[in-house]
Amino acid sequence: MSKPIFEIVDSLPKGGPTVMALRSLDFAVPGQWDNLVGFDNTIKTVTGETDPALVQQIGERAVALYNDKSQGYQRALWLYETVDSASGMLGTAAMMNRIGQDTFLGFLKHVTPKPEKAQSLDLCVKLVTELVAFCQINGIPGDSVGDFVASLGDYSGESLMRMAALTCFDGLIPLGAGFTDKALSVIQGTSPSDIEGNQTFKGVRDLIPGKDAKQKHDFITESFGATKGWMDGFVASKGLTQANVLDHLSRFVEFSSDKLDYLGALLDVTVKYYRHTGVQTLARRLTERAYAEI
Amino acid sequence: MMTARWLKVLTALCLSVLLFVTACSKAPSSPYSQIQDETTGRGAPKAVAKAAEQGSSFNRFFPDSKSYNVIPSQEKKGFAEYKVNKDGKTVAMLSINDTTSLPTAALKYKSSTSTVAGYPSVEQGTTTTGILVGDRYQVKVISRDPSFTQEERVAWLQRFDLNGLASLSPNTAKATLPEVVPSQQPQSSPLRRLLPQPAM
Repeated sequence: MSKPIFEIVDSLPKGGPTVMALRSLDFAVPGQWDNLVGFDNTIKTVTGETDPALVQQIGERAVALYNDKSQGYQRALWLYETVDSASGMLGTAAMMNRIGQDTFLGFLKHVTPKPEKAQSLDLCVKLVTELVAFCQINGIPGDSVGDFVASLGDYSGESLMRMAALTCFDGLIPLGAGFTDKALSVIQGTSPSDIEGNQTFKGVRDLIPGKDAKQKHDFITESFGATKGWMDGFVASKGLTQANVLDHLSRFVEFSSDKLDYLGALLDVTVKYYRHTGVQTLARRLTERAYAEI
Repeated sequence: MMTARWLKVLTALCLSVLLFVTACSKAPSSPYSQIQDETTGRGAPKAVAKAAEQGSSFNRFFPDSKSYNVIPSQEKKGFAEYKVNKDGKTVAMLSINDTTSLPTAALKYKSSTSTVAGYPSVEQGTTTTGILVGDRYQVKVISRDPSFTQEERVAWLQRFDLNGLASLSPNTAKATLPEVVPSQQPQSSPLRRLLPQPAM
């Protein structure tokens, strides 16, 4: 049996590497994210209601909705968890690759992917995971790219923070300026069989629309192409650069700028922002629906 | 020799008792433990009834606005919800749900003494006004900002196409969305596959 949703939300950390890394992005999305944790606390904050009996009633409906597997909430959580852990494995692979370039273990670079290519694919797969998880939570058919793009404009709170983290931690930091163009050209130049070897893709492949690797690859390419404009606009409107993101991040982790691919890998391994903010989104949506239905 | 053997047996026995006792100990209880037990496991009731109306059937009854942005938020079986945004901030939520899945939601209207647009209405908590249409569909306006008052909730409830909702034949409304087929042409624009957007 999977863990109850109230325990999952209650056990979200109040501090640690993920929370600190996300806090460093407050300058990009000021005031949007305040690390809302705790099941009852989420209900009270989202609804503005404090009557214990009403909070309990909302909570009970939220638990029931989450436990009904046909409603997609458990699948969304699985996606958020899986993309984080698979991406952590990519981080380890990227570290191995970097070590391979620096030391006598040169042969390692032949067996681990090039960081830039792996990071590009990682970015594309993570973005598509967001799309699929969004549809599982909000109930819009899984391959409706247009609805997703329209909704991106209305992302706020922890969802906007997740997109900011994706843009900064999986785009700007490892790939630098013009990361969306780089990622798009990588995914376009990657064969369906290549993408099958990507760890992050392997983790979530079953829930990506498409009956075979080619269709899934097409879906990822189209989705990334369609949402690239939003990411470019986000970076431009917030004035985000690799330098200013690193500057804010350096307040919680020490690194030197010539070891950026180590940093990307370190973030991959230690920062689980997809799961953390994904649980927060899930709790918020469940609360909203539960209160509307009771 | 004999003593050593007995010691082994005794150790095994102690371990078994320990395992038995710890397995029986109760997990820390939560106010949600009971509902968790009731809604999980084999044969547990579903949160959403099979007979519930599709959420897409409700979209056409939501109001539009010139001074607010009304944006689709969630659409699930038996449920649809929209956000009401002003100056980039969500000030209220609008929803329609089929109480077939949760009959107790409809029950509270039995003792209602007030009406909105001729339908029984209730105030819930401090932020919500709801009505029950056709003894089945619950329509709610929930404030998300103190500036969105109870009077505004009542005014917004009246902007729904309530008569249309009342005449919705259960389970006969068909989704108007076209079937989406996986694209065979990765270079073509995904925009051609856009689904019709609900009223904005």
